[in-house]
Amino acid sequence: MRVLVSWPARVGVGFVRACAVAAVTLLVPGVWAGAVALGVWWGPGNPWSWVAPVLLVAVGSLLTARPVCRAVRFLAARWTGTVIASGYREAPPVTRMATGYWWNGFDYHRTRRDALLDQRWRLRWKDPANWRDLRFTAIVPFTAGLVACVPPAGVVLAAAGLGTGTAGRVAGLVVAVASAPYAWRPLTPVAVRFLRPSARMALADRVDQLTGRRADATVAQAAEIRRIERDLHDGAQARLVALGLSLATVEKLMETDPDRARALMREARAGATASLAELRDLVRGINPPVLNDRGLVDAVRALALDSPLETEVSADVSERPPAPVESAVYFGVAELLTNAVKHARATRLRISLVRDATGLVVEAEDDGRGGAVVRDGGGLAGLRGRLAVFDGTLDLTSPPGGPTRARIMVPCESL
Amino acid sequence: MRIVVAEDLYLLRDGMVRLIEAYGHEVVGTATTGPETLAALREFRPDVAVVDVRMPPTQTDEGLRAALAARAGVPGLPVLILSQYVEQLYARELLADGSGGVGYFLKESVFDADQFIDALERVAAGGTAMDPAVIAKLLSSGSSHRRLGGLTEREHSVLALMAQGLSNQAIAGRLFLSDSAISKYTTSLFGKLGITDDGTNNRRVLAVLAYLNNP
Repeated sequence: MRVLVSWPARVGVGFVRACAVAAVTLLVPGVWAGAVALGVWWGPGNPWSWVAPVLLVAVGSLLTARPVCRAVRFLAARWTGTVIASGYREAPPVTRMATGYWWNGFDYHRTRRDALLDQRWRLRWKDPANWRDLRFTAIVPFTAGLVACVPPAGVVLAAAGLGTGTAGRVAGLVVAVASAPYAWRPLTPVAVRFLRPSARMALADRVDQLTGRRADATVAQAAEIRRIERDLHDGAQARLVALGLSLATVEKLMETDPDRARALMREARAGATASLAELRDLVRGINPPVLNDRGLVDAVRALALDSPLETEVSADVSERPPAPVESAVYFGVAELLTNAVKHARATRLRISLVRDATGLVVEAEDDGRGGAVVRDGGGLAGLRGRLAVFDGTLDLTSPPGGPTRARIMVPCESL
Repeated sequence: MRIVVAEDLYLLRDGMVRLIEAYGHEVVGTATTGPETLAALREFRPDVAVVDVRMPPTQTDEGLRAALAARAGVPGLPVLILSQYVEQLYARELLADGSGGVGYFLKESVFDADQFIDALERVAAGGTAMDPAVIAKLLSSGSSHRRLGGLTEREHSVLALMAQGLSNQAIAGRLFLSDSAISKYTTSLFGKLGITDDGTNNRRVLAVLAYLNNP
């Protein structure tokens, strides 16, 4: 029954899509056909008649190649969910050097305007992706374009007859209806095969990505150092100064007011204890001793013991990962634990750590409210940045009402 | 004396107030942020203010900038800057207007309460009070080393104390020498360094610091 209902719908949708594919892919051949027509119309008796068509073909192809490729990528993503990386060069920021010249990622210029103009020119016309786009616009009309033309051609045949009589019309209609659901489908495989970035472009992208990550890591590290300095300045250092102040006051009050002096002394002793506790917490925040001594699994177990939640840890980690990975994952788990307590109001948490040949996978599931999102500048975003340094990922599924599942994955070579 | 205390951390503010009151001075106002500090200095016109460098909202050199702004409006408004770090740059900015009545101390200098109160009184009287650590840094920097080579050890220690803002009498007390001996030393070292001594303490400090700062 459903098939009967959906078949007309599929035919209709397929027909519209086939027409769209045909229109997009035949745009460039259309330009060529126009050029040929111009040559034929202008040709006889004019020795220079070839110039205009050739120019039209060259300029037309160059100008339409990129929009056509963008449209194809958009359609593939829209209809099948296949995301094809474009690999176009991205505009690096234009910065002023100490020398007063402007650097646009390629060259130096005297003014910002020159730098921007030059950058735009290079991005548009000196991008290796242009050649790939041109190649694609030459290939696609004779593959996906040709197939996509079948349903519209069938409809045209059915409507116009074209001297074939009734049999031809019926055949046209049958072909159109039968092919409509499938005719647009070749676009995606062709696009995937010929429109993805070449190895060189992929490499350039990777370099860009790594540059970004390096910057992120640097920023994160600087923030961490600032945090430590702030904690020391406002915490232990300030407490010690206060301690000295109390002692100085006590010294003065000894003769005049011994009772107050004694009370101050007691305060000072409490202050010394408090500053020690603060220093301990700070050290634990920099490099937890248990992580240092016993490794990731035991450190996570220790976290679980300190946590107010019922936490159960299962681990299958045969060998210790490299220290930086351990540290990043440990603080990641600490972040997840904190969130489970603070935001999700969970009561139970299950953590599993598995290390296999490909890498380290940590999964945490709580029974809280859910609705967790990775906010810019939030703890989870920071964790993601910290993991990205090792090509690690953080996946979060947290529907409203829970449960929240977080999965940390860090690839590391097995020794 | 009437004193304003500007410090964002409650523990320290409280300790400072108690110490100052133990010495029989009056704390007329407190402040916890840069803008508050500026307002308090303008409103209370204290005999001297104790100001922390790092305060909200920016947690940078908020206190120092508030003090400089207040002194721009009221030249010579006495301010003693306290910090957990010694930065020569800050010391120089404070001394730049040359009107005196400034001090720059490490927070732990307060542990020696008698000296701290003494410095407060010196600043309130329009003098200068620099932390020995600032001066030690200045004296040990490479450029001053070469140029102070001609001084005797005794002259060197007199110069260091002078740079802290002590008067000849106070220097004499510290080094257990007579006043006249100190004036002999100062005359000879000013001669060696080519600094004109006009007698007032501020000018002397400024001259010495300017000399040490010039590479």
